[in-house]
Amino acid sequence: MAKEFELNEVEVWDGNYAASQALRQAQIDVVAAYPITPSTPIVEGYGAYVANGYVDGEFVMVESEHAAMSGCVGAAAAGGRVATATSSQGFALMTEVLYQASGMRLPIVLTVVNRALASPLNVRGDHSDMYLGRDSGWIQIDAFNAQEAYDLPLCAFRIGEHLDVRLPVMVHQDGFTTSHKAQNVYPLKDDVAYKFVGDYVPVDEMLDFTRPVTHGAQTEEDWHYEHKAKQHKAIMDSKTVIDEVFEDFKKLTGREYKRVETYMMEDAEVALVLLGSSVETAVLAAKQLREEEGIKVGVVAPRCFRPFPYDLVREALDVPTLKAVCCLDKSSPGGAMGALFNEVSAAAYTTSSRPMITNYIYGLGGRDFAMDEAKRIMKEQKAHADAGHITTNIQQFSGLRGPKLGFYETRRS
Amino acid sequence: MSMTGSVPGTDNRGIRELGAEEKVGWDQVQQGVVLPSFEGDAADIAHQKAEERHYADFNSYTATVASWRVLKPVYNRDICIDCQNCWVWCPDTSIISRDKQMLGIDYDHCKGCGVCVEVCPTNPKSLLMFNEAEENEEALSEWPQKEKKAK
Amino acid sequence: MAITSIKNLKEFSTSNDRFEGAHLLCPGCAHSMIVRELMNCTDDNLVIGSNTGCLEVSTAVYPYTSWDTSWIHIGFENAATAVTGAEAMHKARKRKGTLKDPDAPVKFVAFGGDGSTFDIGFQWLSGAMERGHDFTYICLDNENYANTGGQRSSATPIGATTSTAQAGTHSYGKKEKKKDIVSIMAAHGAPYVAQLAPNKWKSMAKGFQKALETEGPCFINTVSACTTEWKFDPKDTIHITDLATDSLMFPIYEIIDGHELNILYRPKNVLKVEDYLGAQGRYRHLFKPENKHVIEQIQSDIDKNWEMLQRREEARI
Repeated sequence: MAKEFELNEVEVWDGNYAASQALRQAQIDVVAAYPITPSTPIVEGYGAYVANGYVDGEFVMVESEHAAMSGCVGAAAAGGRVATATSSQGFALMTEVLYQASGMRLPIVLTVVNRALASPLNVRGDHSDMYLGRDSGWIQIDAFNAQEAYDLPLCAFRIGEHLDVRLPVMVHQDGFTTSHKAQNVYPLKDDVAYKFVGDYVPVDEMLDFTRPVTHGAQTEEDWHYEHKAKQHKAIMDSKTVIDEVFEDFKKLTGREYKRVETYMMEDAEVALVLLGSSVETAVLAAKQLREEEGIKVGVVAPRCFRPFPYDLVREALDVPTLKAVCCLDKSSPGGAMGALFNEVSAAAYTTSSRPMITNYIYGLGGRDFAMDEAKRIMKEQKAHADAGHITTNIQQFSGLRGPKLGFYETRRS
Repeated sequence: MSMTGSVPGTDNRGIRELGAEEKVGWDQVQQGVVLPSFEGDAADIAHQKAEERHYADFNSYTATVASWRVLKPVYNRDICIDCQNCWVWCPDTSIISRDKQMLGIDYDHCKGCGVCVEVCPTNPKSLLMFNEAEENEEALSEWPQKEKKAK
Repeated sequence: MAITSIKNLKEFSTSNDRFEGAHLLCPGCAHSMIVRELMNCTDDNLVIGSNTGCLEVSTAVYPYTSWDTSWIHIGFENAATAVTGAEAMHKARKRKGTLKDPDAPVKFVAFGGDGSTFDIGFQWLSGAMERGHDFTYICLDNENYANTGGQRSSATPIGATTSTAQAGTHSYGKKEKKKDIVSIMAAHGAPYVAQLAPNKWKSMAKGFQKALETEGPCFINTVSACTTEWKFDPKDTIHITDLATDSLMFPIYEIIDGHELNILYRPKNVLKVEDYLGAQGRYRHLFKPENKHVIEQIQSDIDKNWEMLQRREEARI
């Protein structure tokens, strides 16, 4: 029996340590992992719990991230709770197996500490790894600070393992800005946290010898399509369970999570839509702009990146006063508009307010996104709103040295 | 397709051609593409003969590949010494042996490779390949005599 | 372990097959002979993993499985990792008391072809061996990427023609020698490593039983004659394998704890390698006068290897 970890009511933890504590409290059966900056401390933290008797499960240190996820898939198919952590290149290396985990409907939890993808090699935080996972069939939940990096893995086990869902779940946090920044975190006691997560319920387990099962069969053109459709329905429908789990978590802790977080949107004329640790910067900037210049700014932050909360994004943007929205993508889109821009635009298109929408690429490779820049972008949206049309390129780069870089304009006749 | 009614374990064997199974819709396919091999409790499977098991429809045991065959092996009980060479080397689990005795060929799963004939040590052989269309009785009536060893 | 008797074939034949027919392997394929024998030599529960390859694509095509035991496939390279993940889960759940039947005996086995074992899955295999999991990895070595139509692998012997190392007017086929996977695996310090062949069914069954009984990571390379890509008649699979073992192209031996080598089969009459090569289409071009030197080289390599194996055995280190 694992030892109880003595915790204070308030701890000073960074995002990595917060995530590792959540993993420990979930009493995972198998962690198969390979360290990579900036998520290494999650694996190290877990290693310390193993070494000191705080974990009953197996800790398998494999030889690569591909093997980490492969070990997780094998372990999950054997019928127990499984989790791991990674970032960036490691995430890219395990991508093949991410698709297999979701197709095989194995509820693995992966804590992703977001980091840029090479080339050029870069260890700092952006969302290119998170975006790489967006078609992988995993539920993707985003933590904006250390407290959330603790809370959301606990929710993730409940969500993924729910018998109506049975899908793997990623919990993202931003490299360094969240993962290495010490903040106040209010943890649950071990027994309270475990009780919230609950016992793992095996499904089609390979270790039930009364019922041998084949995992990972091949399907060709006469079966593959139906399987992918069934899988898609499962992730689309998972929103109900996500809402329920967040509601239960609020009852337990008072901390409220929604699939889409909205700030000051009730009367907003302009809004920013963004993800990750920048959300807190944007909210603070919006508050100040409201006070300083009376610009009615709101912020919309998808907590759930997958399933994309089409319904709640639409609801958040369906504000009669709303005229201009800027979507900020912290990932180089490689020849397109940013993914968040595209998806938010699709949702906004069906609102009656039909705001103008522009796109900023920002923060690549850990480039700082500070209050002044947030305010400048907000004011630019106000200029669009006042002019009644988009006054800049539709896609621009924020915080970039050199000549102004932008693409596409509104077509006006 | 079963031509060996006296051989055990033929009840639910080879009931359909591969690909002829019902193509159900997305709502009825197996979650996670998982295929259970048996119906009910299969804990003791290692101690059960095929005829004692409850194969699930997902088990390939219930399907047939007989149409792959051009030539078929025919078994002559009168000559067989039950050495079990054919059993150990059959790549298609198609030699039916019970209690150390060779009983016959599972024609639903045999692909007609001819390995069993090649490894048969008797003289004449107790297994020989014949045209798929030929009746087994006729094949048995044409069985060759013992070959003299070449000096 | 509940062992099936392998005293003689009659005894062995009383075991109950757990690998079913109507799989899609080619007629005469040695893969299924080897898999059947592995599954028949124990009564224990099995959790089996397969890398992508002939075995995998032929035995689990929805909605059919040919496996009567639990089985998993993920990708081309990671069956060793999948199975050792399951083995870790078994340990954890046994300790925590969450297994349905905690006393049920179970063995963990991974299968890979030579493509996944020697090449694309090499790292995953090495990692799993190094970590010391209690499992057995069996390579079904048919010396080419047969599943994709016969391309070269690092297990393809020198002189064989494959679609990506073709014999032609300017080429005698593959130029490079086969990778010595058995030595590499033994160098991991694995408690049991062997090279076995299905024509020698008893030594293969004994080797399988030893590997399953031995705690820790075990590796077995099995020669799996490939009727389609080696180009011989399907009925001749065992005959070709006899030529392989009796020409010492495939010596049968084991290495215990990384150093103790035992030769498990000594042919009474060692055949010339021409007898083995000449029986297969993939070596036909070697019998042209200009390629004679390749046959000589193969024979010389075989002789040296056999000498080396005998000396290592004699050394008893």
